[in-house]
Formats: sequence, structure tokens, C-alpha cells
Amino acid sequence: MISREIQILNSHGLHTRPATAFVTEASKYKSEIFLEYNGVKVNAKSILGLLVLAVEPGSKLMLSVDGIDESEALEALDTLVKNKFNME
Amino acid sequence: MRTIKGVQISRGVVSGPVFYFERGRLTIPRHFIRKKDIGDEMDRFMVALKSSQDELCQVRDLVVDHLDEDHARIIDAQMLAVQDEEMIKAVLDLMDREQKNVAWAYFEVMEVYEKLLLKTFSQFFKDRTADLKDIKKRVLQHLHGENKPNIPEIREPSIIVTEKTSPGDLIHIEKEFALGLITETGGYNSHAGILARAFRVPYLSNVKSVKDLISRSEIILDADNEEILVDVNDEIISRYAGRIRDFQKRRKQIITVKVANSTFNKVPYHIYLNAGFVDEVKSMNPKLIQGIGLFRTEYLCLEHNRIPDEESQFQAYKSVLSNMDDLPVVFRVFDFGRDKLMAMLDLEIIQDEHVFDEWGGIGFLLENPEILRTQIRALLRASIYGNVQIMLPLVMFTDEVKQTKKIIEETKADFLREGIAFSNDIQIGAMIETSSVLDELDDLGKLVDFFSIGTNDLALYLIGSGRTADLTKNYYHPKIFHAINEVIIAGKKTNIPVNICGEMASDHLALIGLTAIGIRSISVSTSALEMISKLVASMDTRQLGGLAELILNADSAASIHSILAQYNQDCLVSSD
Repeated sequence: MISREIQILNSHGLHTRPATAFVTEASKYKSEIFLEYNGVKVNAKSILGLLVLAVEPGSKLMLSVDGIDESEALEALDTLVKNKFNME
Repeated sequence: MRTIKGVQISRGVVSGPVFYFERGRLTIPRHFIRKKDIGDEMDRFMVALKSSQDELCQVRDLVVDHLDEDHARIIDAQMLAVQDEEMIKAVLDLMDREQKNVAWAYFEVMEVYEKLLLKTFSQFFKDRTADLKDIKKRVLQHLHGENKPNIPEIREPSIIVTEKTSPGDLIHIEKEFALGLITETGGYNSHAGILARAFRVPYLSNVKSVKDLISRSEIILDADNEEILVDVNDEIISRYAGRIRDFQKRRKQIITVKVANSTFNKVPYHIYLNAGFVDEVKSMNPKLIQGIGLFRTEYLCLEHNRIPDEESQFQAYKSVLSNMDDLPVVFRVFDFGRDKLMAMLDLEIIQDEHVFDEWGGIGFLLENPEILRTQIRALLRASIYGNVQIMLPLVMFTDEVKQTKKIIEETKADFLREGIAFSNDIQIGAMIETSSVLDELDDLGKLVDFFSIGTNDLALYLIGSGRTADLTKNYYHPKIFHAINEVIIAGKKTNIPVNICGEMASDHLALIGLTAIGIRSISVSTSALEMISKLVASMDTRQLGGLAELILNADSAASIHSILAQYNQDCLVSSD
């Protein structure tokens, strides 16, 4: 399992559209993917889970990936977050 | 006794018990299941999720085409939430642990997510509970089964009272059980409004705090006078008894006399009917009428709450045709205005944002050719059961007719290859209801078999008043009469008939004017049929010549109105 801290740079936080993009990307990989925020850990392939985290702009989260394609998944998701989900 | 005022959406007067229900409160079946049933429940759940997903796909395509990719992402999020793996796991877990049936388990799991969202500190995330409710409703509807309503079952004929109706509500209520309808919100052209008028259910809207109407005794709904009477005594009930009986009689016997087929001086005249529901057509006796001049196919979508597939459409069209013997039935292909489509797809999330451009008619279908192709296939398949005519709504350019005819020809070629039978005698007509098409009438006339003038939209385009404004007096505007006159001239040039299918043809005075300038074919609503039939039978076209000139030379709506009123008084006095 590998982990990395990521920071949400979008102006509204991890709201519906970025969360949708994140889940869609995460679902492409076989690995189990988790996001941890304020002590709550959710399956990153679950849109409902991501929404209830209610991630505020500027927040830091722990992204952890476990599985055969973990390094590709981690890089892809990290890039997506850094690029503000290609939305802003 | 109390009197409460409202706004008339559909005429009539009835008395009956109140059946009140609150919108949005889903009735969730709750029962315990055996462990061995969990598999079956889960299978049902997966089917419901798949159907919800398919429906959202359809919604998404339309949103992309007519809004933008950004709004479509909201639908993407809903699609992800419908198939959310954590949610599915939680539902399975709850069924396993507590033996709750699947709808109950799903409802509880979604409630947990809603509560968690409400606990967040950001208004944005709190607001997402609306999306969750939307998803939940959709999935639960599918779990209930295809056409089962989300409203409690009515056990006796009642006056239905609710804050607001939602698409599908009224259609699911047994028609004989809906005596009347009362709502706080809902406009003239809402689903409920359209349905109520089609089925002659008295309906008052804009009634304040409908909850106060709940009572143990019967109430009187007098939509004709726009009032509701509560806590009535026997004396008042007996005072209304006569009118209520009359209305019931009128409501049941739809058409009792043979519709006139010529004027007083034996000039042939066609009076067709407007319809939109299969049930409505079933109540019509083909021996008494001349055919359906406008079948609004988009109402099928209201009934299904989605665009029905080829087979369901085919069954509906076949049923209409079988009921009409060989009388002509003019099927207008789906005419989606923004309002109709949004209501149909239950697009509440974006309903408040007025971002849709005005669109609809054949232009919309040509941009979504798969919808048009499916409908054409269904119509062609049904064509062997009667006299099918296809009408294109809101034509703007000649080219749209060319493209549609190409699709029809391609479908026929497909059918020949696939060995599917179809009629070779299908007429195609164009609706004349936009100002731009008025410049192309001669070219258009060479391409189609008939013109049908939609006076409601035409008035909108030519005079430019809003859809909600009262259009009644607009019919008398000189611009309208001149435009119709142009269409009549173009029809003569290309030797095709011209029909009128808007509300104008159901207006006593306006119809005299239309007949004066040469109209000999109209399509009207069932409620106006009797009056219109009598009027046509009493008109003598030999007396109308001078009237045409007066109308076409008049300079205002008011003067046309007074010319017609004067004529009506002088020449048609005996008709009543």
C-alpha cells in the first residue's frame, strides 16, 4: 500500500463536479483506493462517501492506494487533484 | 360554511370526499424478509438500479445537447451515486443483518447519507441532499415496479387535494376515482392541467393552504365559478345537485351526435378532433366523428415519464388506429417544448435555472435523430392498422421537412429489407406556426401533403406575447388573419389542404372569420366539438364573401372582433 498527502485547491472544495471526476478516475483502477479526512476514511470509488466528507477548499487529505496498479493510480489521482480536476 | 377561491385550470363542478396527500413523502413498503429471499431482493435491486441508470443516460444526452457539459456532470454524479458500491454493500448488509426488505433497506441507507450531508458545515454540501432525494425517488420508483405510483392508493371516488402535483401523479390515479383536483401550485399547461382537461376533471389551482380543506364531510368543487365550498349543509348540497348532475352527464357522454360534415349550404367541411391519450381515443365512436386532426404523441412521454421505446409507441399508435377504423389520424411527432421535457424528465435540479433556450418541434428531433427514427419506425409499423398521417411541428425551414422525409424513406427501405409491413399511403404534413416558415410556403407546399396551422404558437411568434399571457384576444389580430390567408393561398397554389388545429378554431367568432377567408378543415378539442359542429352546420358560405374582405382590410384586433360579433348577431341568430 502506498499513500500520499494531497491538497484540494479548487475554489469550492471537493464539490459535486470534482468529486465526480475523482471517482470516475479512481474507478478505472483495480486497486482499493481510500481518502482520509478529519479522521474519516472513505472508499474513493464511492461518490456518496466523498460527498459526505464535505472537503473544504485548501484542505489536506491522505490518499492511500492498495493493489496491483497502485502506483499508476496514485500518480493519476495526484495529477488530477493538482490540475484542479481540469476545471478551473 | 367556508368559501375558498382558486384559479380555474379545468372546468366543471363536483362534490365528494377529500383525498389529501403530501407530495414528496414516499410510501416505502416495510416488511421483514427471510434470509433465503435476500438473493431475489438483491436481483430486483440491481434491475431497479440499472433502469434508473438508463433513464439518467437519456436525461444526460438531452442535457448535453441543450444545456452544456457542465450541467451534465450533475447527472454524472447522480449516475455514480445510483451505482455506488459502498451504498450497495450497505444495503446488502442491512438486509442480511436486520432482514429488512430491499426498498426499506435502501431508504435507510440513503437516509444515513442525507443525515451525514446535513451535518456538514458547508451550505453547498447540505444542499446536495436534494440530489440524493432525487436519486432515491427515482430508484424507489423503479423498485415499486414500472407504473406503480408513489402516491397512496385511493379507495373511493374523491377530490384530490395536494400542494403540488408531479408528472405522473394524475395519470396513475384511476380515472373514475379522480372526481376533481385542487392544488396550491400548478399552471394551465402543467401536466395535471393538460390531463385534467383531457379527462374533464374539474381542477382549481393557486388555492391557499390546501391542508385546511381536509374535512370529514364532502366538499363542493365549483371550478366554473373558481371556488371551493367547505363545511356545507344539506341545503347547499341540494342547491348544487342540479349542476353537479349536469356536469356528470356531460363528462360521461363525450360525443353523442354525428359531427357535421358540411355547412348549411352543403359545402363540405372537415371537423377533426385533437387528442393526446390512448384512453381518450378509446372513448370516441368512429361512426360519429371524422378523424383525429392532431394526436399529440408527446403525451405518451408524460404517461411513461420517459420517451417510450419503439414497442410501447407501436402498441399505443396501433391501439389508436384500431379504434378509429379507417378514419385519418394525424400523429404529430414529439413536440417537446422546454417545459414539457423538463417536467417529463423530472429535472427538478435544473428546473429553476432558466438556461434552456427556446427549442422544440421538428428541429429538436432532427438534432436527436435517434428519437425521431424510433418514432418513425413505430408509426410505420402501426400504419397497416389504419390511416396514418405524420405531422411535423414547429417547422422553421423547408430543409427540415426534406431531412425528415429522408429519414422516413430510409426507414421504409430498412423495413423492405427487414420484411416489415407498412402502408404506402402515408401523408406528411407541416405545421405552420413560426414566422420564418411563412416566407417558404410555396417551396414547402411542394414537399408536403397538407398544411396545419397551429394558431397558439403562430400568435406567439407574430405578436410576441408570452406563453403565459392570455392569448384569447390575440386570435383577432389582423396579423394572424393575414398569415392564415397567405397559407390558404399557398395551399391553393400547390393544391394541398389547409387545416387549423389551434385553440382559435374552437372560438366561435374566430371560426366564423376563418371560414370567411376560406378555411374548410379544422381540428378541435372534444369539449368544444358540439358547439363547433352546430356552428359549422349553421353557416352559409354564400353570405361570408363580404366578410372576408372586411376582415382582411381591418386594422386592429378590436375592429375584427366587432365585425365578427356584428355578423354573428345579424346572420347566425337562429343557430342557438
